[in-house]
Amino acid sequence: MQCHNQTRRDWLLKTSAAAGAWLAGPSLSRAAAPTSPVAVARCRTYDQAELLPVMQKMFDQLGGLGKLVKGKTVAIKINLTGSPTYRVGHLPLEDTHYTHPQVIAAAAHLMGKAGARRIRILESPWSTAGPVEEYILRANWEPRDILGAAPNVEFENTNYLGQGKKYARMTVPFGGYIFPAFDLNHSYQDCDVFVSIAKMKEHATAGITLSMKNCFGITPCTIYGTGAGIDEPSETPKGGRTTVHAGDRQPSKSAPAEKDPTTPRQDTYRVPRTVVDLNGARPVHLAIVEGIKTMTGGEGPWINEELLGVAPGVIFAGLNAVTTDAVGMSIMGFDPMADHGTPPFERCDSTLKLAEEAGLGTRDLKRIEVIGESITQVRFDFAALRKKRRASPPPPFGIRG
Amino acid sequence: MAAQWTPMRWPSAWKDPAAVNLLKGTAIDCLVLGAGDDLAEVRSRARDAGLHVVDAATPPAGISVIKGVWPGVKGGRAARTEAGPTGVPWVDSNGWTIQLARRQHPEVQVWVDAAPAADAVVTADSYLIAIADSAAYGGRWIVSLDAPLAAAMAAHKPEADKPWNRIKQAAAFFAAHQAWSEYAPFAVVGVVSDFTGANEFFSQEMLNLLARAGQHYRILPKKEPFSTEGLRALLYADAEPLTPALQKQILEFVEAGGMLITDQWPALSQGAVPAPVDTFSVYAMGKGKIAVSKDPPSDPYVWANDSVVLISHRYDLVRFWNGGATGSYYTLSPDRKQAVVHALFYSYRGPDQASVRVAGHYRTARAATVESPQLAGVQVKVEKDAVEIHLPRISQYVALELDV
Repeated sequence: MQCHNQTRRDWLLKTSAAAGAWLAGPSLSRAAAPTSPVAVARCRTYDQAELLPVMQKMFDQLGGLGKLVKGKTVAIKINLTGSPTYRVGHLPLEDTHYTHPQVIAAAAHLMGKAGARRIRILESPWSTAGPVEEYILRANWEPRDILGAAPNVEFENTNYLGQGKKYARMTVPFGGYIFPAFDLNHSYQDCDVFVSIAKMKEHATAGITLSMKNCFGITPCTIYGTGAGIDEPSETPKGGRTTVHAGDRQPSKSAPAEKDPTTPRQDTYRVPRTVVDLNGARPVHLAIVEGIKTMTGGEGPWINEELLGVAPGVIFAGLNAVTTDAVGMSIMGFDPMADHGTPPFERCDSTLKLAEEAGLGTRDLKRIEVIGESITQVRFDFAALRKKRRASPPPPFGIRG
Repeated sequence: MAAQWTPMRWPSAWKDPAAVNLLKGTAIDCLVLGAGDDLAEVRSRARDAGLHVVDAATPPAGISVIKGVWPGVKGGRAARTEAGPTGVPWVDSNGWTIQLARRQHPEVQVWVDAAPAADAVVTADSYLIAIADSAAYGGRWIVSLDAPLAAAMAAHKPEADKPWNRIKQAAAFFAAHQAWSEYAPFAVVGVVSDFTGANEFFSQEMLNLLARAGQHYRILPKKEPFSTEGLRALLYADAEPLTPALQKQILEFVEAGGMLITDQWPALSQGAVPAPVDTFSVYAMGKGKIAVSKDPPSDPYVWANDSVVLISHRYDLVRFWNGGATGSYYTLSPDRKQAVVHALFYSYRGPDQASVRVAGHYRTARAATVESPQLAGVQVKVEKDAVEIHLPRISQYVALELDV
């Protein structure tokens, strides 16, 4: 807890005032970037008997779910990165790189209990316009575990037009680093509350992936993917998001083009900035990051590093994605104030720094109230493992899927 | 009929009849030769060695030779893989042709004639794939050596040892497990067609592409009575309308809870339910459903992949993780006490850490490869409705033996 001599109410009043301030301009100083508390909890298992009360307590510490979701349509972006046929070794996908279904179900259950009118689980699954339910069956999940967690829970595949009649144009209020606006699946506009439920991981391109980077996947590959249409979006998504990663082409002409096609084409430059643009266009109201079980070495099994399944036993949440991710970085043993060249941003720019400079939120732990467990109590030192791992050559790469 | 013999084509590079001795002690028990007099001594030596001798042009009664493809991930010498529409490597397999031939002619043994492709990278493991890809489905690949290997063997060069040993090993494995060929395949969907004439391309390509989509199917020739036992869906895309008798049988199947996937069904205007794919409209009927294609069938790739979603991955019989380009054939012994899943990995090397989930109720599971009849390091996780098998690093074929 880094907040002293003030009540929690005082704190929230200050933070909400600051939250409105970022809309005023694109380059607020670090001191002016809004802050918001982050609840941190120890959670050793995905057993609902342990998970539900832990998550309930976290949400209460943040002011209660009811205030946020009662009578509202809630959209939850989960993380199902890569094909469901890839695993880290023999480990289930949810124990390494997918948001765990029990966390999704628990969040939906608690939101339903808090009065959410409609809960929509969103993801843009790899290279398919098929239903998310079918995708997760291939990961060995049971969709009914999530659909039955609360009334009116549904999935939508947002990697294409989906159930909408047209794509939703969502503008980046601060103007954007790479993109001034995005054309997204309607679900990201047709909601009152937007939630990001991410897995706590390192990331080969962006250094780390937490609640902000999870939103990279809200871009439909029909417009921003390898097989995107040239003039109009393609009907079905094909391949990954090389358009955004490499900048080797522009999105479909029907969507807003990049602001400046002469900027560097390196993914380590483009991905952090696009993530910030996306978080500006589609702000996260509630960020949840689970690291109960996860992996070290990267964001998925395809990464050519020594990949390990690990069990940090931690979950955290906040009302601001930047402050939540800053706390997450610290839990992982990294300094959220780290800049390009410093772990985990050895090769890339810091998404957090860019987000702070865009006025989305502060990454300065001195300005972030941490509620519940302290960071040091739950720290799982990804940074130390990274240093040790990088002292050795990467393992031979086999066939993984 | 399950294949009884293990045939090999006599390489044209083998001029010395004494090369017949190379087959001594192997499971190869049949030589496929041309009819010319120049091979008379080879023929004679082979017969003396106890081998069956078959004329390549006129195989004996009871054997059907089908023209096949060189199986594996499609690629050239630079190992460039060709990708299908979704970027999944394209796999050539003879599994569907063997199943179709066995279904249409149950009284004959099926041999596959497919020499190594001219542009293929042929390794020792390519021969394992070629042999396993036919034998897993109850057929036999006519062992056909690529020219460099045949020449190296004739010259007794050491570089021939590895591929030849691989061939011997694989041939011996399947000869020792001939009984598996009599096991009955499990299936999720029945493909109803006459598989000929105007329907030949689409129906046969459906078999090919359903397998590529990981679906297990049963071939149901429409002019014969067939059983739908155990099936969740039927697929009918022939040009001709269903006969009244066939329509009646399919209707009973649907009303009992099955699904029909088709482009034609009379008078369906009510009972529409949400469809999981855009290309079909789905209607409830009895306890089941009818999925009607919005357009006439034109692309079997779309039909095959959409049918898997229409039926649902919930009913997948076999799921792979970390398998690369996979294929599988899931069968049950006549006494229903043992199941065997033939798992094929068509990439240039086998997987490091593959997992396989097999639907069904099983007590135990074992894994056998051509190198190791009782593979060590296998972990078995028995679940409520399935068993999950974690494999160590293996080559391109593994047989999973499951005890009911």
